[in-house]
Amino acid sequence: MAESAIRDYATGRGFHRQTLERWLAWEAADQESLQEIAVSLKISENHLRDMLDWLEEISLRDVTKIHEILCRPAVLSIKTDPRLGRADKLKRIKEQLRRWRFPRLAAVEERIQLKIQALKLPAEIRLSVPPGLEGGRLRVEFSAGSVAELEELTKRLNAAATTTWTTEIFDLLSGQTTEKVQGQS
Amino acid sequence: MKHLHFDEVIVESGSESSPIYRNLRRTLGHLSFKVVDGIGTERVTSERGDRFGAAKKTLYLARHRGDFLKKCPGSEGQVCCNYFVINFASNCPMDCSYCYLQEYLADNAALKVFSNVNDLIDEADRTLARHRGVFFRIGTGEITDSLALEPYTGMVREIIPYFAEQPNVLLELKTKSDSVDGLLDLNPKGRVVVGWSMNPQKVIDLDEHGTASLGERLEAARLCQEAGYRLGFHFDPMIEYPGWESDYQTMLEQTFATIDWRKLSWLSLGVLRQTPGLKRTMRERYPKSDLLTGEQVLCPDGKFRYFQPLRVEMYRKMVRWIRRVAPTVKIYLCMESREVWEQVFGFAPACEKELGNQMAPEVQQPIHA
Repeated sequence: MAESAIRDYATGRGFHRQTLERWLAWEAADQESLQEIAVSLKISENHLRDMLDWLEEISLRDVTKIHEILCRPAVLSIKTDPRLGRADKLKRIKEQLRRWRFPRLAAVEERIQLKIQALKLPAEIRLSVPPGLEGGRLRVEFSAGSVAELEELTKRLNAAATTTWTTEIFDLLSGQTTEKVQGQS
Repeated sequence: MKHLHFDEVIVESGSESSPIYRNLRRTLGHLSFKVVDGIGTERVTSERGDRFGAAKKTLYLARHRGDFLKKCPGSEGQVCCNYFVINFASNCPMDCSYCYLQEYLADNAALKVFSNVNDLIDEADRTLARHRGVFFRIGTGEITDSLALEPYTGMVREIIPYFAEQPNVLLELKTKSDSVDGLLDLNPKGRVVVGWSMNPQKVIDLDEHGTASLGERLEAARLCQEAGYRLGFHFDPMIEYPGWESDYQTMLEQTFATIDWRKLSWLSLGVLRQTPGLKRTMRERYPKSDLLTGEQVLCPDGKFRYFQPLRVEMYRKMVRWIRRVAPTVKIYLCMESREVWEQVFGFAPACEKELGNQMAPEVQQPIHA
């Protein structure tokens, strides 16, 4: 039942043969659980490939079935949340799967975000870190509409640079505190 | 290490005059030798669908066309150690689950040894003689294991006497085998480093199929050190798993209890790296391997590595454990960015020549066994 529906879905969206074969190599219950999400959220091939990767790898690492992962309460609550549109549901389900697939990376990223928020910088200053934290650098962007505003923003940045929050952000980026995160996860 | 098993040897016509042919005849005389007119890109078939694995069962002896000596390609954007490579064989008889050759040689998987060893020496001689002011570090383990086939081919035994006489070279033989018997009665004159790729026994058992055990590698290293060879150890690829710290510390303790670290030429560190293509191949060939589940992210050079804070922490720990015993041994990172070097060591080499030169000065004078 699921197999023909999956074939139809993949063909209709022009999926690559390897993607389809990989999906169909799963057990029937696993195939079906992903098919239900794929159809309802109209998942494109690139997103689906990410999900195939992460689900297979979580399943292998945690010795669990893929359909069991997709039936966890965290996924179900996103799927059934009436406030969320299709794109938001897909985004959140992928974020959740990524958190399960990369628990320590996600924990470090979340800790960095918390510290960035704690700096309480104005909206004109944006701090961000690279995807996957690769490169280990903090990106700082800001824009000003006048000399006075620029002076004010640089003052705020200077003040932020000397806080322990900022020191801890760089510690996290350079693996100084990965051990602590590992201990907590 | 277990003996290798081949089904047959296929010889390209014209290679029968090579010393490698003579050695193969002597060591694999019980096998069928088939002489053929030409060997191209061999398409190996396999009933089980594992063409790459099946390719390791037939040994080809063929003439190498093209250059033997090349600059190591390194990895885009990463700090390079200014290394050169000589490829005297293609593919490897062992079968590590993470091996990049599974992707790199996917369309040319035949296990080949090159017969024209004199051409190799002539080419090396032209380059080394023309650039006497340049110090060359040359490796032979880029697309094969340097020593795994040595008991059969005697290739390294053919080339060591030439390299031992050169004033501006260090030849590195990189291996996961313990096949050193044929080297021990030669005098390397300080020009040959035997380098072992090292991992804890647990990793060897799970992912380094057909290789020598940790104990066998260390015993072979000890024998080589006694015979006057320089040694290198490559803790690469380091694998992160629950309990890795204890296993790697134990491995380091065993290593330094077996060999004299003061005579080590270098140690390198590198974490598991996979391209997306290699990961696809690993999924097919080793679908249950835990190596597929590490917290690896795609880096700018197109390779998956453990996310940076995690691998920096791994490197720092390894450096700390090594320094405790061997405070002055040279350690470098393989295929890592300047940022990672900075985070691990507090500096990054200014350029590839700087790193290469750091490895070279101590070998300007021959060592004495």
